[in-house]
Amino acid sequence: MIGYTVRRLIQVVFTLFALTVLIFLLLKLMPGDPAVVMAGLGAQLETIQGIREELGLNRPWPVQYWRFISGLFNGRLEAMTYHRSVWSVIFSRLPATVELGLFGMIIALVVSIPAGLLSAIYRNSLLDYSVTTVALVGISIPVFWFALMLMLVFGVILKILPVSGRGASVALFGWQQFRLSFVTWDGFRHLIVPSVALSSVLMAMNARLTRASMLEVLRQDYVTTARAKGLKERVVLIKHAFRNALAPVVTNVGLQVGTLVAGAVLTETTTAWPGIGRLMVESIQRMDQAVVFGLALFIAFFFQVTYVIVDLLYAYIDPRITYD
Amino acid sequence: MTENENGKARLQARDVVLTLLLPGLGHLAHGWWGKALLFLGALLALGATLGLGVAKHRFSWLAGPTDYWFSTVMMFVLLALVWIWALYDLRRAIRERAEKHYVFGYWQMSFSRFTRDPKGIVGLLTIVLVLHVAIFAPFFASGHSFKGVTGYVKPVSHAIQMNLLNFQARPSSDHPLGTDNFGRDVLDRIIYGSRVALGIGAVATLLNMLLGGFLGLVGGYFRGVSDAILMRILEVINSIPFLVLALLVLSLWREGGILSLMLILGIFGLQPARIIRSEVLSVREEDYVTAARAIGVPTWRIILKYVLPNSIASLMVVTTMSIGVNIIVVAGLSFLGYGVPPPTPSWGAMLQEAQEYMRTAWWMAVFPGLSIVFTVFGFNILGDSLRDVLDPRLK
Repeated sequence: MIGYTVRRLIQVVFTLFALTVLIFLLLKLMPGDPAVVMAGLGAQLETIQGIREELGLNRPWPVQYWRFISGLFNGRLEAMTYHRSVWSVIFSRLPATVELGLFGMIIALVVSIPAGLLSAIYRNSLLDYSVTTVALVGISIPVFWFALMLMLVFGVILKILPVSGRGASVALFGWQQFRLSFVTWDGFRHLIVPSVALSSVLMAMNARLTRASMLEVLRQDYVTTARAKGLKERVVLIKHAFRNALAPVVTNVGLQVGTLVAGAVLTETTTAWPGIGRLMVESIQRMDQAVVFGLALFIAFFFQVTYVIVDLLYAYIDPRITYD
Repeated sequence: MTENENGKARLQARDVVLTLLLPGLGHLAHGWWGKALLFLGALLALGATLGLGVAKHRFSWLAGPTDYWFSTVMMFVLLALVWIWALYDLRRAIRERAEKHYVFGYWQMSFSRFTRDPKGIVGLLTIVLVLHVAIFAPFFASGHSFKGVTGYVKPVSHAIQMNLLNFQARPSSDHPLGTDNFGRDVLDRIIYGSRVALGIGAVATLLNMLLGGFLGLVGGYFRGVSDAILMRILEVINSIPFLVLALLVLSLWREGGILSLMLILGIFGLQPARIIRSEVLSVREEDYVTAARAIGVPTWRIILKYVLPNSIASLMVVTTMSIGVNIIVVAGLSFLGYGVPPPTPSWGAMLQEAQEYMRTAWWMAVFPGLSIVFTVFGFNILGDSLRDVLDPRLK
């Protein structure tokens, strides 16, 4: 197991390296000049030249690549459009996304797991048909449109929730960068629309997955045996079926971080939620190559670590799986 | 078989005449109601569309832009197809009935299962409806004949033509779904937007399947180096959200418009490769593949004759669902401003415009989104049904 983990981690390093090269090439091949964008309209040629000099944009590509990488590791790489380091920009936006993602995931699981289990238990009932239909519609709804509709209904028409933004937030442990908003009433109200919108797709996906997994388990011999022993149906379901049915669902939650972050990019842009998803879109539009590079590496690192953890978790939950 | 029975298994003159008169009548004469209604319905739908187009625009489109020509040509092609298909189907059905020991193949069994699955029918009808609207967009869209300075009459679509006097008109009989911030009819833009959505969705998915299918097939069958390379590439692509990667690649070539969207989604959307690979991995271990290898069947033949047909079911399911996914991704990219350049109507871009005016014009935000949901739902439910039908083990 340890051998496997070490091999996986080495693989992760190579994957991340390949990704940084890919992102770097994409950024460098992009038409337009970050220095011109930064200098603004009507800037003197000398100003632009100066910015280029300062950012090292006129150096050869390998040198620039090294500047990015080393700058990220020693934390000194400056964001091009902020006068702060890339990491400080990213970490000031991160809590908002973590908050949004966690809430979205919690809402999704709280709704989808009971829905999926019930629809499998009462298979082919009206309840089952409604759950499967709603779930199918759910995976067909673009998150950003759902966010728009929630804003329209609750913000514009009913006027019971704020339309966009993050609202009041509290700095945790007095650290100004790390602000949470769900602890304040105003911030919590702002959080509802984006997190519900973000949860819609996950909810639908997890409900379908839970239902399929539960149906599979109910077909197993040990469930039949448990019933044959004369156990009450409730005991069969709770003690024998639920645990096994939920194992794939729980591990799959890890694999859904991809969907979550992609959804966050769109949800945050729609609802003006100041998280890293919106930072990514803004930075691409402003050609802030340093932030895009750092953020891409950060997200990729997060994804890869999650995937490794999920793999190890699989083996932990299901002892039949070995990787060696 | 006696001569008499043999004769019965052929198309009779009566069948041919009836079918040529109206496709479906021949089926009716044999008592095949379902098929007859299907052909008559198709004919009716096409005829009604043509009638609508003529009523709305007379024949002015003959002098109009190419999209009118496209619809006109497609109309005749589809009408011809209805007739030809009706004749062919009648002949086949008569022969099938005459055969005593008819053996149902996998596809026929799947098809008969499919026709009994309400989900599949709903999905298919939804997609056919959207496709119909997309192909005959000019016939459905409103528009007026516009006499230019040269006196040359040409139709102008309300989907593109701005009319600021009509700024954000509420839904009314003139504009059933209202107008947008440039006074353009929302319904017309939705109708034309279906072309963009389906076009990009279909072409990108086709590319995904050709590329992903090939890589998955080769990687899964040969394992080894090609497989390792494929998996590493997928790993790199999977380590950031596809949307972000697409944004970066699209920034390289924004003036490419629809073409760049198709290519980028087509080339980087390699997810299907993974699914096909895992399917191939299990198929290649089957006994019939081992047997084929043992008697010396060449490798390319094993892949084409044994592995591909046995993996095609999952390929079809993935294809159907990918179209839906691609439509959503295109809408998302357009929403972020990286989609089809204006003034071409696309659903995602309409939503982007609507976002600013939500307080004043809700109709701009509601209807384009509903059309995305409707279309994608069609593909998803069809894919769901195909999975049940093609692979009954999973049900």
